[in-house]
Amino acid sequence: MRVAPMRTPPKGAARQPARGAWASPPVRRVALDNGLIVIARQNRAAKSIAIRLVLEAGSAFDPPGKEGTAALAADLLDRGAGSLTAEEIADYFDYLGVAYECGARRDTLEVGLRLLSPHLPGVLERLRILVAEPTFPEEELRRQKGQALTSIAERDQDTAAVAEIALAEALFPAGHPYRSPRLGTRGSIERIECGDLVAFHRDRIGPRGAVISLAGDLDPARGIELVARLFGSWAGAPAARVSIAAPPAPGREIIVVRPIEGKTQADIGLAFPGLRRLSPDLPAALVFNNILGEFALGGRLGKAIRDRAGLAYYVYSRFTAGMGAGPFAVRAGVAPDGVRKAIDLMRKTIGQFRRRGVTSAEMADSKSALAASIPRRMETNPESASVLADAEFYGQGIDYPEKLPGLIREVARAQAEEAAARYLTLGSHVLVVAGPAIDKETLR
Amino acid sequence: MTGRGRAGTRAEMAAASRAGVGPGKRSGVSSIRLANGLTVILREMRQAPVVSVWCWYRVGSRDERPGVTGISHWVEHMNFKGTRTISKQDVTRLIEMAGGTWNGYTWLDVTTYLETVQSGALEAMLRLEASRMTDCLYSKTEVERERTVVISELQGGENDPRTYLEKEVSGTALQAHPYRWPTIGYLSDLQAITREDLYAHYRRYYVPNNAILVVAGDFEARQALRLVRRHFGRLSRGGDPPQVRTVEPRQEGERRLTLRRPSGAAYLDLAFHAPAAADPDFAVLLVLDGILAGGPTVNAWAGHGGRGPSKSSRLYRALIEGSLASDVSTSVLPTRHPYLYRIAATARQGVDPGRIEAAVGGEIDRLARGEITPRDLDRSRNQFLARHALESESTTDAAHQLGFFETVASHTLFLDLPRRVAAVRAEDVTRLARARLREDGRTVGVLLPAGPLEAATAGSPGGPPR
Repeated sequence: MRVAPMRTPPKGAARQPARGAWASPPVRRVALDNGLIVIARQNRAAKSIAIRLVLEAGSAFDPPGKEGTAALAADLLDRGAGSLTAEEIADYFDYLGVAYECGARRDTLEVGLRLLSPHLPGVLERLRILVAEPTFPEEELRRQKGQALTSIAERDQDTAAVAEIALAEALFPAGHPYRSPRLGTRGSIERIECGDLVAFHRDRIGPRGAVISLAGDLDPARGIELVARLFGSWAGAPAARVSIAAPPAPGREIIVVRPIEGKTQADIGLAFPGLRRLSPDLPAALVFNNILGEFALGGRLGKAIRDRAGLAYYVYSRFTAGMGAGPFAVRAGVAPDGVRKAIDLMRKTIGQFRRRGVTSAEMADSKSALAASIPRRMETNPESASVLADAEFYGQGIDYPEKLPGLIREVARAQAEEAAARYLTLGSHVLVVAGPAIDKETLR
Repeated sequence: MTGRGRAGTRAEMAAASRAGVGPGKRSGVSSIRLANGLTVILREMRQAPVVSVWCWYRVGSRDERPGVTGISHWVEHMNFKGTRTISKQDVTRLIEMAGGTWNGYTWLDVTTYLETVQSGALEAMLRLEASRMTDCLYSKTEVERERTVVISELQGGENDPRTYLEKEVSGTALQAHPYRWPTIGYLSDLQAITREDLYAHYRRYYVPNNAILVVAGDFEARQALRLVRRHFGRLSRGGDPPQVRTVEPRQEGERRLTLRRPSGAAYLDLAFHAPAAADPDFAVLLVLDGILAGGPTVNAWAGHGGRGPSKSSRLYRALIEGSLASDVSTSVLPTRHPYLYRIAATARQGVDPGRIEAAVGGEIDRLARGEITPRDLDRSRNQFLARHALESESTTDAAHQLGFFETVASHTLFLDLPRRVAAVRAEDVTRLARARLREDGRTVGVLLPAGPLEAATAGSPGGPPR
């Protein structure tokens, strides 16, 4: 067990605005005594506010055999809490036009709210009741499990989702927190009972390590005061940050074929073990991934597979860097007769990328694209609330979005190439094809 | 077409429309028409150092005919492949270098291209869009490469049973109007369309008098207008593209279809004939949809694919809390001509879709009987008003909404919708439910899982989950 470093500027310290023609609005950050980090960013452009609450309670923390617990807990937070019934909660949000969403990701359980600014106090009051006192009624769980089983049946017919699940199963060893599907399986859903949700809530959903961020038409100091008054007495778990181990190298090319009847297109995934959010390789990985599978119409992969060969509508590479190292994956959707050719082009493109490295023009383009995109990525209230909460949760600090352009510009060509060689371990990877039946032997 | 006069040859730059009453006056939106007929809409927004540029064309799948279905969308793809003055690589590179994001889409009435970039790159984006309007290349090699990409997009869509059902229901509900075929086109047409077909379609519809340029974000309007005139002012007016003449005849009798395809669940898709965006009843439909499903959206970009129901809505109560469906969504989309209002649901395992259809019918009957409380009405209107504001906060969304509405009706309609929605009364909703959501005017599509899953999910009403 390891506690991730948390930067703690002095209470109430305002961040210095960025230099340049446009100053990012002031952001405040305060750590409450119960561990909850509160962030507030002002944006007076419209009379609205976005709230993001991030809890260390994602599907990585599902109890073994009860995969899908975090997702079910997220679905049920607003289905009865404190003395409020599900109907009362829904009517309150809907009557005021508040948009509420809650879901479990891999590391986190997150609540997002969008509201017109006069409603902030009442909405925060409800949010506190939802996260601190959910009642998980039996009847609601029964109904939600039924919905989950239908979603799982649909997912198991979806080529992209099946490819994603197969990649994780091949990449992560048994028992690894990133191995199981986020929604669970038929068997695991059927085993989950109300007591499991109560225990999950007790163990995982608490103020320590959690982050709440507010962005929009508010005075940051007063927003923080309001949160402190409402959430200050919230107590409880989780105890300490969990350490998530990196997956072992596959050591060879592991090929998995998942046939799904009646499909017109196959989903291909080729994946390597990736990196953690706090890895020093992160800026270099952002740059080389952009060159390989993002820039313009999907980087070099897009150029080879979509643009020159006309094989796919979508092809890209992406990595998920969280508390632990998620997959670094190349993905494409391809007609059955193009699968072999697309895979050859993936192998060839990645091989050349490793052997010959990147050009200085590619470095300049991708660094510029990534660095210049940060203000756009934080333009709206939901985006900035989310980016700030995320940077804080993962220990990068709320000034990370402002520092990131500089970190990207500092990446040298050799650094990007070294990082690419370290992560794109061709020959030690997983290859998945989900869709129309295909002979595995033809893919070698 | 609303908001688009024939007097485009006049050179004056009179503000053709500065949003009318109420929200318009505070909206900071200005609109002019250049001498060549190009409509320009500007909205200053200073929340971040970014601008969003959208160039819209009044052309979509409605402007096609059997034999060339899908051509508008394919033309959109071709217009990312370089122009006489901007290389193919630079079409996207220039945007990304400016920290930007780009995209384009084609739908029933519209084709559009967007760039949201750092504000310093505004002029480069205007240069790109002006060049895209007149100078795209259409090499034979690129046409052939893109043919398989577009077919791949079609096949990817057909992998999803819900998309497949939706396409079939549209084609059944509409029998005459060209909204009936899918925007992606039919496979045989995509295999047969030639380079000459594509280029002719491009030349016919990509003229300034058929286009709308919208810029929203961090700029000064006078300066932006100068740049717009510099890059677009020199383009020549073209011939006015042909208009759709067909009016869908009134549907007299329910239509039903049942499909069997491999799928993980059974799906129901109900379609009713909806008013066009400019019809005063469009606002009534928004309120009606709010009562049935909650949170209606008119943002086809942010709300693509319909909205899930809000949890206090009638369909959520009846279908989700009633343990009949695992998911339900509705869609009200602003269109130039009358299109469809849809209610789509995913049956819970073991539930016959017929039971969902009956429950939806029961909720429609309640509306038609006038069972609408003042709180129902207030909730629906409040949800719309909040969403109308929240869904046009970003420069990208704001520019999208102004351009989309200008293309199908008028951008002032978008600004006026809150007033129209606030004025809707319960009796309007009841009248509309009776007139539009009647059984003999609806189309009911059901998709049942074929193959090994069939026995488990179809036709065992109310049985326990497998």
